[in-house]
Amino acid sequence: MPVTTSLARARRKVVFKRTPTTLSSARMATMENRATDIAVDEEVVSHLADPSVRGSRLPIDALYTSEPPIIDPLVTATSTAQDRTLDQCLPLLKAADSNIEYNANGAPRLHRERHIKYLETTIGNLPAPYVGADASRPWCIYWALNALSLLGADVSKFRESLIATATHMQNKTGGFGGGFGQTSHLATTYAMVLSLVIVGGESAYEVIDRRAMWKWLSSLKQPDGGFQMSLGGEVDVRGAYCAAVIISLLNIPLNLSSDSPASAAGLADLYTGLAGYVQRCQTFEGGISAKPDAEAHGAYAFCALGCLAILDAPHRIIPRTLNVPRLISWLSSRQYAPEGGFSGRTNKLVDGCYSHWVGACWPLIQASLQAPSQPAHDSGPQRESIPEFLSFYDREGLIRYIMSCGQDHSSKGGMRDKPSHRSDAYHTCYVLSGLTSAQHVVSAVLAEDEYVANMAWKVSPYSDPQLFDEQDRLNPTDPVYAIPQGKREEVMTYFLSKPGF
Amino acid sequence: MPPKNNKGGAKAKDSSAKQENDVVKTQTVFERAQAAYDLTRPPYDKEREELGGLHALSTVEKTAYANWFCTAPDELAFLSKKAQKELWKQVNETNRPLRRGQIDKPKPDQWGKDKLGRNIGDYTVQQYEQRIEKQGQLTCLKALGRSFASKRLYASKGLVDSSTGEVYKLTEEDIKAEKQHRKEMAALKKDLYGEKMGPYSTDPEWDDVVPVPQMEPEGALAAIAYPEDYAESMSYLRAVMAANEYSPRCLKLTEHIISMNPAHYTVWLYRFANIQHLDIPLLDEIEWLNGVALDYLKNYQIWHHRQLLLEHYYPTIAGSPDEVKRFARSERAFIMEMFAEDAKNYHVWSYRQHLTRKLGMWENEEHGELDSIEGMINDDVRNNSAWSHRFFLVFSNPRYSTPDSHATEADPKVPADIIDREIKYAQAKIKLAPQNQSPWNYLRGVLVKGGRELGSVQAFVEMYVQNIGNEETEQVHSSHALEQLADIYEEAGDKEKADLCWKRLGEKWDRIRLGYWEWKRRSLKAASS
Repeated sequence: MPVTTSLARARRKVVFKRTPTTLSSARMATMENRATDIAVDEEVVSHLADPSVRGSRLPIDALYTSEPPIIDPLVTATSTAQDRTLDQCLPLLKAADSNIEYNANGAPRLHRERHIKYLETTIGNLPAPYVGADASRPWCIYWALNALSLLGADVSKFRESLIATATHMQNKTGGFGGGFGQTSHLATTYAMVLSLVIVGGESAYEVIDRRAMWKWLSSLKQPDGGFQMSLGGEVDVRGAYCAAVIISLLNIPLNLSSDSPASAAGLADLYTGLAGYVQRCQTFEGGISAKPDAEAHGAYAFCALGCLAILDAPHRIIPRTLNVPRLISWLSSRQYAPEGGFSGRTNKLVDGCYSHWVGACWPLIQASLQAPSQPAHDSGPQRESIPEFLSFYDREGLIRYIMSCGQDHSSKGGMRDKPSHRSDAYHTCYVLSGLTSAQHVVSAVLAEDEYVANMAWKVSPYSDPQLFDEQDRLNPTDPVYAIPQGKREEVMTYFLSKPGF
Repeated sequence: MPPKNNKGGAKAKDSSAKQENDVVKTQTVFERAQAAYDLTRPPYDKEREELGGLHALSTVEKTAYANWFCTAPDELAFLSKKAQKELWKQVNETNRPLRRGQIDKPKPDQWGKDKLGRNIGDYTVQQYEQRIEKQGQLTCLKALGRSFASKRLYASKGLVDSSTGEVYKLTEEDIKAEKQHRKEMAALKKDLYGEKMGPYSTDPEWDDVVPVPQMEPEGALAAIAYPEDYAESMSYLRAVMAANEYSPRCLKLTEHIISMNPAHYTVWLYRFANIQHLDIPLLDEIEWLNGVALDYLKNYQIWHHRQLLLEHYYPTIAGSPDEVKRFARSERAFIMEMFAEDAKNYHVWSYRQHLTRKLGMWENEEHGELDSIEGMINDDVRNNSAWSHRFFLVFSNPRYSTPDSHATEADPKVPADIIDREIKYAQAKIKLAPQNQSPWNYLRGVLVKGGRELGSVQAFVEMYVQNIGNEETEQVHSSHALEQLADIYEEAGDKEKADLCWKRLGEKWDRIRLGYWEWKRRSLKAASS
């Protein structure tokens, strides 16, 4: 792609200082142009990316470096916490730290090698203080493998170890626990199944006992349509999402086993009433809560949309199930300035992990608004059909937050919630996941094979304006399954070829 | 016959007794053995060894050595009577000692190594003797343990002690003594061999359980180097869970594991199963749980456990309104204690919603939630969790709301005075800090529930927004007001004004959401064309 090559040439390292002027009018102009003349876009981008035109360095838009235009004088616990967050983010956003290497746009570079090194330690042998993670080891494995894949590191070397680890954690009664001898749990099963899908290959897929999984899932299905996280565990929208992911990836038969509590309540199959359950989780604010009656929360919004996108094509099921305008308004309110990152709830602080939870909602929202276009091969030669709206949210703001505040700039590496927090595997996975979704435009196209999925995704690199170096682009991610693009099709194709168990 | 040695031990006689004592104290085990070995052989053999061979000895000593070698009983047998006679004659002439003992030459590592990998041969004699004594104690304790086990076995079978004529009986003292013995054994084992006996393997109460240790496959990912205490208790947990045991000791075991890893959902679920089987009093469990909750503020499992407890016990108090009220108040008191640490804790709020429904703590009830929530909103008007709870409290009240009414749709059953009251409440709070999104979201939610037009609050909204689009005089005190105003214009069909509001939001008042405002503008244009 021409855009890619010209940008690669434009790579440069500049130590950046704050400049007071803003780009607001230029930004508006770009926005206007985008609507009227799409063809100009690529030209504008290449133009901007050309070092001779760009000059020494671009100033950072004041939007990302100064306090918002309206601030109430009233001080409460919430405003105090918000002020503290701005204090720690602003120096980084202003590119004021001389110890950090910035690119021409005043954004720090991605410390790719450090993050890879850090992630590999998180699935190695962990010292005794990690005992608190003893019930979440499948999560640790998924976070590391997914993040490593997004970073382009080789994860196939973990295949044998993963197979041994997963085999050990699988229960005869179906599903995976947090470790050997632990009760099966939907969250740890979700994480383990995704891990196996990420390393891929028949030997990894075949670890999973699908018949036992089907029986176990049937036992978790509730009369109200939702799923318990484990036998005797809580019912929430995570359960709905995790179950839908597992069922669809592994081609689990939908009919309920005879001993399922939902079967006794007259439900037809594993998906019956699931969309209704999700619907009951939408709140007056427009967002989605963990369970009915609770507060709207970004992570649950993702679970809700992800679950629905599995049940049916997004443009059919999402408008049918949720109040989409209110949801979009609430989702859009999750992004704050000057931080640029997302918060999880109204009046809560930005946190890097919502780069994924909220960030991944956007392609699904986009897909819910219009019927999918024809698959790419039908639309002729490699002409990009850029969607009418590249973004509901400010990609530049999010990328700036991730690169400046979301990275641990020390030699430790890894990604974090915000500058005052230490990096960890969870944040590394979800911040990077958010970064890749900001770096790519993902749109729904008609699935070539109706059986593989309700939708397929067309991914094109996002580069308007190009504020990260091309070498800092990550591999694209699947917006529903949160695994590298392509892995979903591989596993679905494999299990579709296996009739029955 | 070998001649008597006249010179041996001359040196020892010279040393004073005190010096000898000091030597013994600082001498190592190996040195002592070596010294004893040296006493069993002639000095020239030692000399030969130290100097590295026979060639280093004087002629006389070489002869003496050869004689000494040949006078060994095995060698003598090969010599003729005459040769033997010659040999003895020469031995006498050389006049050198001819000692021979039955001790093998000591090797420095023959005593093995201790728990730290130190050669026991390098111990001082004193240290070595202490070690031997401890080993003796351990043997005695093991013997006592065996007799305890036999006695317990006999007692369980009701056998009669022939020496007393009474049935074997295991007394409290016996168990107490055995516990003490095991503690001593554990200390000795750790001291001597570095072997650790955890609290379960040393407790006779757990003797009948065969622990199931965690076997990690080779190269397991994210394998944790468990602290020994944790590894041992988990081994016992796996064993009792597999046996479906529900007992007080299992309850204690779960408590122990939770104190080390409160995120262990398996242990929590198993704990609840024990509580159900043993019918543990609710308040005992709640009291313990409160302490754990305050120690681990972010923990999720605690709150699911509490919800399970609530479900389990509610039927027992449902018949008594007073008890329900009392319980509601004490739960709320604890919830408020949690909120003092983190007023937006999602799990605690979710539990609060569940509790409200279960115990009917609606706004109009005597033990209702409204005052408490108003207090929280007064403390921090930006606490969206409190606003969210208020919405639930007001609009899910079964006394007047439609049971399955969706949060984003009108509920005609909610009385108008309640809608009015809530509009006023939200507006009063907006006045305190107009750029606070929580009450704006709340206000809109109330209007929707009441089936009212957004335009019904236009005058209020316009207090925060003036002269939109006029560069000189434009004033916006709340971007949320401007957003609401745009929606009011859209609702009224005034597209140009709505478009202008969104345009100004994207240009100036809420620029980070530019993409969203532009989408609103375009959607409206598309709808009208």
